[in-house]
Amino acid sequence: MKIRMKHTINSIEADRLIEKYYEGMTTVEEEKRLQDFLSRPGLPERYRPEQAIFGYFFQKKQKKDFSIFPYIRWASVAALIVFTVFSLKTLTTQNQTNYAFVDGERITDIQEVKSQAMSSLRNISSDNDEVDEGLKNLNGNKLMEQQLDVFSGLE
Amino acid sequence: MKSINKYLIITLLLGFVVLPEMKAQDDLQINRVFEQYGEMKGVVMVELTGEMLGGHDLSFFKSITIKNNPSAADFIRKCLAKDEAGAKKVKQVVANGIPTSIFLQLPRKEQLNRLILFNETLKPEPKITLIYIESKNDSEDVLKLILKKK
Repeated sequence: MKIRMKHTINSIEADRLIEKYYEGMTTVEEEKRLQDFLSRPGLPERYRPEQAIFGYFFQKKQKKDFSIFPYIRWASVAALIVFTVFSLKTLTTQNQTNYAFVDGERITDIQEVKSQAMSSLRNISSDNDEVDEGLKNLNGNKLMEQQLDVFSGLE
Repeated sequence: MKSINKYLIITLLLGFVVLPEMKAQDDLQINRVFEQYGEMKGVVMVELTGEMLGGHDLSFFKSITIKNNPSAADFIRKCLAKDEAGAKKVKQVVANGIPTSIFLQLPRKEQLNRLILFNETLKPEPKITLIYIESKNDSEDVLKLILKKK
């Protein structure tokens, strides 16, 4: 039975590999061994820059697993916003259904509001039959005959 | 890209909430009159929904009465000039070249008959009245019933 021992490098070997890395001459295997060395805890301060470099590349190589939870979280936030907006709109709309503003002051007493409405209608109502005449003309049934009648007596 | 998708989803959902709230009169220019003058001094604005008024069942009633404000009258006339498009003019009274009374029957919208009534009087004091009505009943019936002789 062959027992395969993981070859770990010491600091002297690590320094040599670091120098080789900066020259761009390291193999993939050597970079892996160097990374394993730099990921050990308790290393001297002088290895901090190399730890940072290899740490960055290590993170970049890591494959991110797909997770649906962030989307579920955003969908729930969106649903909450929609519910809040809808509720606020429903509540405020109900309160504004029947109201009046008199000199900037809001009135919600329904009888008072109706009284103000009737008052505005009285401002509009006509004293003569202009509305009836207007409605007749709107239908246009006898409009042409009426207009032609004006000329029928002329000779 | 993921952030854009999230904001897009939220915006679309908000749109579905906001759009149904739009009312039949939101396309009219006179809406601006109510918004601009409705809560000012010397102004009376009324809004009624689904109430009986003058013995008539109106789906929606909105009116504004403005006193001593000639610029408001000009503004209302400009709004009416735009809202006239496609409407039938039931009545118009012109004094010194200026329309002082206009009744419009607007095109139907969502099964509702719509009317705009405008009147300006100068005596005893300058007063403008603008009324917007929606009703499921015939416009002629609405006009005849609510415009009673003084």
